[in-house]
Amino acid sequence: MNIVAVTFDWSFLTENGDELLAGLRRTLEVSAIAIAGAFVIGLVLGAARAHRVPVVSQLAAIYVEIIRNTPILVQIFFLFFGLPQIGIILEPFTVAWLAVTIWGGAFNTENFRAGFEAVPHRFREAGFALGFGRLTTFLNVTLPIGGRIALPSSINTYISVVKNTSLMYVISYPELTTTALNINALTLQTVETFTTLAVTYLVIVWTMSASIRVVERHLALPEDAR
Amino acid sequence: MSLPDWAEPVLRYMLEVGLKGTLQIAAISLAGSLVIGVTLGTLLTIRFLPSRALIRFYIEVWRGLPILVTLFLVFFLLPVLNPRLEFDALISASIALTLWGSAQVAEATRGAVQSIPREQHEAASALGFGWVGRHTFVILPQALRRLLPPLVSLLVNIIQNSTIAQVIGAPELLESAERQVERLAAPTPIGIGEVKAFPIYATVMLIFFLISFPLTRLAAYLEKRLT
Repeated sequence: MNIVAVTFDWSFLTENGDELLAGLRRTLEVSAIAIAGAFVIGLVLGAARAHRVPVVSQLAAIYVEIIRNTPILVQIFFLFFGLPQIGIILEPFTVAWLAVTIWGGAFNTENFRAGFEAVPHRFREAGFALGFGRLTTFLNVTLPIGGRIALPSSINTYISVVKNTSLMYVISYPELTTTALNINALTLQTVETFTTLAVTYLVIVWTMSASIRVVERHLALPEDAR
Repeated sequence: MSLPDWAEPVLRYMLEVGLKGTLQIAAISLAGSLVIGVTLGTLLTIRFLPSRALIRFYIEVWRGLPILVTLFLVFFLLPVLNPRLEFDALISASIALTLWGSAQVAEATRGAVQSIPREQHEAASALGFGWVGRHTFVILPQALRRLLPPLVSLLVNIIQNSTIAQVIGAPELLESAERQVERLAAPTPIGIGEVKAFPIYATVMLIFFLISFPLTRLAAYLEKRLT
């Protein structure tokens, strides 16, 4: 077997650093919008699902099942290539954040639903007994406890959101992956390009995974924190 | 309600070429993920630091990377490192999905194996089984019960993620749909000179839904039965 000597040309980073950083910035930008959006969607629809709010709960269930049971790449194709046929033309940037927001929101709805449903019923009864209304009980009892239970799984969803922004390559939105492939096409420095690309994603994802443990420790319920 | 004339050949192509490719990729990836994942996950339970660190690294890398990036590493980087490691699009996608899937299976297997009580190990050892026999005949068959729900979920994820093969032009469902959208947009006699992206991509979503929904239900059912 003839193994080609693999070397890493460090000047690659100085020559393409600015462009890669611009791509990274767009990846983080789209991710930040989507994470915020998925948080709000998950919170509202998760609460509606857990408390069986009529109509909203059923619609949320349909939304969740459609998104979870179809590939996100097909959803992106549908938004970017399918919708223009019926007159809805969206910018690549719009599709980029919208697709991952819709996707993350569906998964987060399930995370928060499970979290809220894990709050023992007697806690809510205690809230009612103190004279709290339904909303006050939710805000003061179910949300702080159920939200903490849902936190690790929701951060995992946010990690997937960041990873899924790489799929915006198919609509040529110049986030990190698209930028890296463009640079590769121009420079043919394949080893440098893909090593940099992979390491960058791993740093982001591993940092976020590590944050789960930190956040879990800080937000642990008092009786679990012993 | 009858389908328009253009729909029938499109649907036939999507099912005969596209769905077939999707199922091929899914089958190879599932088999590969199972073999590598169960092996690595079981080895991970051995308290030997170097092997555990190595397997842990494997798991965290392939779980951490976006699958599309893994696909690019396999499809673009491997041939540069060694010309022999050049694979066609379908195989490249299967390799990328296997790397990702085996990392998922390894993590799940580790948990399942560790959930088997220590007495089972001791009883198997008392019967004269060595490490390999103990795991093959006593521990893993029991762990498999716990492993079944995550494996069904994995199958759903593999089928859905096989669409990334479209990016490198492998003949799977999404790629076959895109080819038909482009063909129909061409003037007659090749196409009909019209863009039919909306109904075609909606159909792709429907086909994936019809495959995934029963499987996610099955995974939820198996999960429930376990507890």
